[in-house]
Amino acid sequence: MDNQAIAQGIREAAQRLLAEGLVDCVLGYEAGTVPMRERPFFAYTPEEALRLTWSGFCCNNLANFLIRRPQGETGKVAVVAQGCVSRNIVGLIKEHQLSREQVHVIGVASPGMLDRDKVQAAVGADKVISAAHEEGDELLVEGPGWQERLERKKVMRDNCYTCVQRNPVIHNELIGEESEPTHGGVIDKVAAPWEKLDPSERLAAFGENYQDCIRCYACRDACPLCYCHVCFVDEAKPQWCGKTQDEADVLTYHLLRAFHCAGRCTDCGACESACPQGIKVRRLTGKIEKDVREFYGYAPGLDEESVPPLSVHKPDDPQGFIK
Amino acid sequence: MSSNESFEPRIAAFFCNWCTYGGADLAGVSRLQYPPNIRAIRIPCTGRLSPTFVLQAFRQGADGVWISGCHPGDCHYIEGNLYARRRFTVLKSLLEYVGLEPGRLHFSWISSAEATKFQQTVIEVTEAVKALGPSKFLRKEIGMVA
Amino acid sequence: MSDKILKKDQAASFLAELAQKRDLHAPALAGGRLVWAPLEPGQEPLWQFNNTALSPKEFFFPQTECMMRFTNAQDHEEGMVMHSEPELARERALVNMRPCDAKAFGVLDLIFCQDEMTDDPYWRDKREKSLIIALACNDPCPTCFCTSMNCGPHSEAGADVLLIDLGDKLLAKGVSDQGEAAIAALPAATDDDLAAAAEAKQMAEAAIITTVEMDQINERGLMELYEAGHWDRTQESCLNCGTCTFCCPTCHCFDIQDETQGPAGRRVRNWDYCMSYLFTLHGSGHNPRGSKKDRVRQRFMHKFKYIPVKRGGEIGCVGCGRCVQLCPVNIDVREVVRDMNA
Repeated sequence: MDNQAIAQGIREAAQRLLAEGLVDCVLGYEAGTVPMRERPFFAYTPEEALRLTWSGFCCNNLANFLIRRPQGETGKVAVVAQGCVSRNIVGLIKEHQLSREQVHVIGVASPGMLDRDKVQAAVGADKVISAAHEEGDELLVEGPGWQERLERKKVMRDNCYTCVQRNPVIHNELIGEESEPTHGGVIDKVAAPWEKLDPSERLAAFGENYQDCIRCYACRDACPLCYCHVCFVDEAKPQWCGKTQDEADVLTYHLLRAFHCAGRCTDCGACESACPQGIKVRRLTGKIEKDVREFYGYAPGLDEESVPPLSVHKPDDPQGFIK
Repeated sequence: MSSNESFEPRIAAFFCNWCTYGGADLAGVSRLQYPPNIRAIRIPCTGRLSPTFVLQAFRQGADGVWISGCHPGDCHYIEGNLYARRRFTVLKSLLEYVGLEPGRLHFSWISSAEATKFQQTVIEVTEAVKALGPSKFLRKEIGMVA
Repeated sequence: MSDKILKKDQAASFLAELAQKRDLHAPALAGGRLVWAPLEPGQEPLWQFNNTALSPKEFFFPQTECMMRFTNAQDHEEGMVMHSEPELARERALVNMRPCDAKAFGVLDLIFCQDEMTDDPYWRDKREKSLIIALACNDPCPTCFCTSMNCGPHSEAGADVLLIDLGDKLLAKGVSDQGEAAIAALPAATDDDLAAAAEAKQMAEAAIITTVEMDQINERGLMELYEAGHWDRTQESCLNCGTCTFCCPTCHCFDIQDETQGPAGRRVRNWDYCMSYLFTLHGSGHNPRGSKKDRVRQRFMHKFKYIPVKRGGEIGCVGCGRCVQLCPVNIDVREVVRDMNA
């Protein structure tokens, strides 16, 4: 099924759910005002549902909005969810942020989302892009007086190459067919690139990766795991992390945020898509999730039964490093 | 190593109230000698230790961090140290992945009866950190007036 | 007549002359991103580029700025010794700044340096020691809407010199006295050059494809705008991150903190943002802007109503379009202004 057909399916499902009063709101994507930037959209009426769309640029994780709804809105919500988003919904249910009955999952197999920065880099940083259309395995990029065809798989988001769950793990209805379950890349090969470095080179690589960070916290705020009412960086007494652009402060923020995602991160890539500075935020979360797989055989959000790995223990857990 | 001989590291040591802190006490009353480089911080249980504390210690200028609690099975709160063990495993791996030198961050299980193990571990931890020299990891420097 | 001509192949030597007493900075490509970078003497700057990803406000209002240092000295009669921070050591020239960014600094001057009592020495020092050589924009981006914001692709406000690209040469307009002096030695422009520049301006303005109206916003009372119904929808998808604020050339809020280590300390100010819960949190625990809607509304009301009311009609937005491009959930300021004006 192509994007248009899936978008049509989403609209029909949303219209039906809203018309029958089964949900208060359908959370989906609508076309943004700039190319390659579909945006979250809240449809409350069947008419509004007509604005819903679907493409390879649906890069926000909508599970994020299930926990950030205005106070007082507690009714049932439908949400458009690809594989990773559904895994985050499962995670939120496990963490008691949401009950399964509160959410109607409109599942869609992910085509592998596209990275607008890669598209821009591929056509040239100085070019103005006025539109980008997916045509099968290709992306047709257009600007004033020029056109260029790119291979879709060359401009995918990093996390989508190694996705292990393109199909939604839970859904109330599925739009389109299920696809190949994975994209074929091996996550363990790329999850922790600094492991290859000599320990003495790692701190420099770590610092360099985050040197452009402006601490806007878009990575945190776009993340469906970061729902703390007060984040540790915002705590003032004690103040765990300074407010400055000193490397020590910037790196403390990123280290601790990543650690707080341990055993929970589904590698949805929302953090990297949100970052205005193009920072590879997944360098840290990737390492942690790789460790969690290795040490505890756990991948987040794949089923509703298992217990998150840092909320449980076993007598024979590894402890070789403890004296 | 010779250049570090005169260097006296500062090591933040987080001890669980029920076991290692007692072990330290016993080492004291037993008059066991050990290097004076550790700054003991008493916590209720290793399960109380947020990774934030570890980073905060390094930020504030600690050259090493040592966390010690009850042996598995002996936790006063039954399983606090077992949760902590998983957390430390992931934390240590993460910090060393981003460039913390192996040998700066230490963990041990020391009961309140193990005064000798306490003494031995202080010596081991101090020597390991001393060999590495002053830490730069996440160290916050606000600068001084010239 | 102060309009001069600078041939592009002579630009490097013109700038090298400036570099004798100033540090030069200009937009440059680094790793596929457009950033402000030092321009080496003799190096030719980029003439064709879109807006830099972040605004150059960092030059006047660094994200982290030490305001002073202090030492606790018990043997000193004052107990605490304060030390002021050194001023900017060397003057600088910011080359090829977009007119919208230059305009933004003109607006910020009104805020940082309002009167005798409100006169920010940190801002003033850097402003006075900087020569802004703006480069008029001949190919605006689709997200640009400067012509609706008291600005334009050839706007001169806030700049010292405005360059207009005429192909192999640039028309240089002296805007301030400082700017006039900088270009005094260049040859004068001919009537043909002026005509070409006027035509370029007209074409650039025509190329701005989006416009927004402000007439109703100006007309309406503050409370009417504040209570308008659209805010519920405007704020829906906002993440409350700081992207829009931090990339914005006119956003200027900050947070001041004292950091101490042993007996020494420093006072630093850091960019802050009104989208943050912490920004308005009182010591009592009360937060006057406790909901996301309050915070989102604040940002737009500040730009399009409070600043115009308090600063004689100036707008807290120059239409550079950065937030439109970078907002992770694509909240488009042009749509918000249209909703406010509807």
